[in-house]
Amino acid sequence: MRGEEVIASLKEFISDDTLIVSSNGNVSRQTYNFLPRPQVYLRGSMGLPMSIGLGLALAQPEKQVLVITGDGNFLMGLSSMTTIGNYKPDNLKIIILDNEIYATTGGQETVSSTVDYLKLLEGLGIQHYGSLNLVKSPSKLLEAFEILLTSKQTAVLHINVEEDIENLENIPWQPKEIKNKFMKNI
Amino acid sequence: MIKSVDILNYLSEKNFELSTGVPCSYFKELLIEIGKSTDIQYIAATREDEAVGIACGYYLGKKNCFLIMQNSGLATIGDAFTSLAQLYEIPLLIFVSYRGLEPDKTFPEHVIMGKVTEAVLKAYGIPYWNMKGENWRKILDKALERMNEDSSVVCILVEKGAII
Repeated sequence: MRGEEVIASLKEFISDDTLIVSSNGNVSRQTYNFLPRPQVYLRGSMGLPMSIGLGLALAQPEKQVLVITGDGNFLMGLSSMTTIGNYKPDNLKIIILDNEIYATTGGQETVSSTVDYLKLLEGLGIQHYGSLNLVKSPSKLLEAFEILLTSKQTAVLHINVEEDIENLENIPWQPKEIKNKFMKNI
Repeated sequence: MIKSVDILNYLSEKNFELSTGVPCSYFKELLIEIGKSTDIQYIAATREDEAVGIACGYYLGKKNCFLIMQNSGLATIGDAFTSLAQLYEIPLLIFVSYRGLEPDKTFPEHVIMGKVTEAVLKAYGIPYWNMKGENWRKILDKALERMNEDSSVVCILVEKGAII
């Protein structure tokens, strides 16, 4: 299963009370194309989606904040996971779509394959739901979403995905427009 | 000299409910006061760019957060400014300690950044004020006015001993 299919499968789990922060590149483009709008679509600031999610979760404790990030972005912002592990807002959930490459820039390898995500998250004291391998067990995806998004604490779902076939077009909204539409909708 | 508690009261009146950043010894007293505050929470970030991410997320959630960091953080933070806060026009108030103002044999690590601090802020296009002395409230008023009018990042430079 590819990352874009995973994002599209999230649709039925996203309500008005879900605020999504999507990492720059393919992930935010897919979030824009396949999930309800508006959400936070990052154009740059690689490595920062988790910290933006933390700030948003603290400001909006009644809403569910979902960060969707690729592995390259996650690894760049890894130290912010220690901050999240320390403060643990209940309403913050993170999905890592791990294709082990920088897909948007041409498929260069990340170092993600060296990481044991479960041990990493355990070490940070963050709840996780196993590494979901969709190549082996695609049917477990919806169940995993359900468990993640109904969790009463900070939680992370790591998913091994296949490489997307092609990059989507850039998001047509200008950054200021993204901000204004997102904030108006809260 | 400016009392930490007075600054916090001022910021609390301006509806700041959160602060984040990476410490500098120039802000030791201010951070102790924040620790005591019931109005303003502090999130200890691991990096200055992470702190910008937290503050931007907090703003997108319709609340105000200010930042604290050493001027060395201005070097770490470039992309968080240019491709997040400035790109999305997110207003941010940042207190930056002005290290390395004078040649310092004990702390040579601050000297080069001290020399380029204002040039770096100018290059980013970030307005800044040096906050010291009796008129600090007017300086912060001006900075916040600019921040809100332009939806922009503004920096307050803080020299050694300016905040007690």
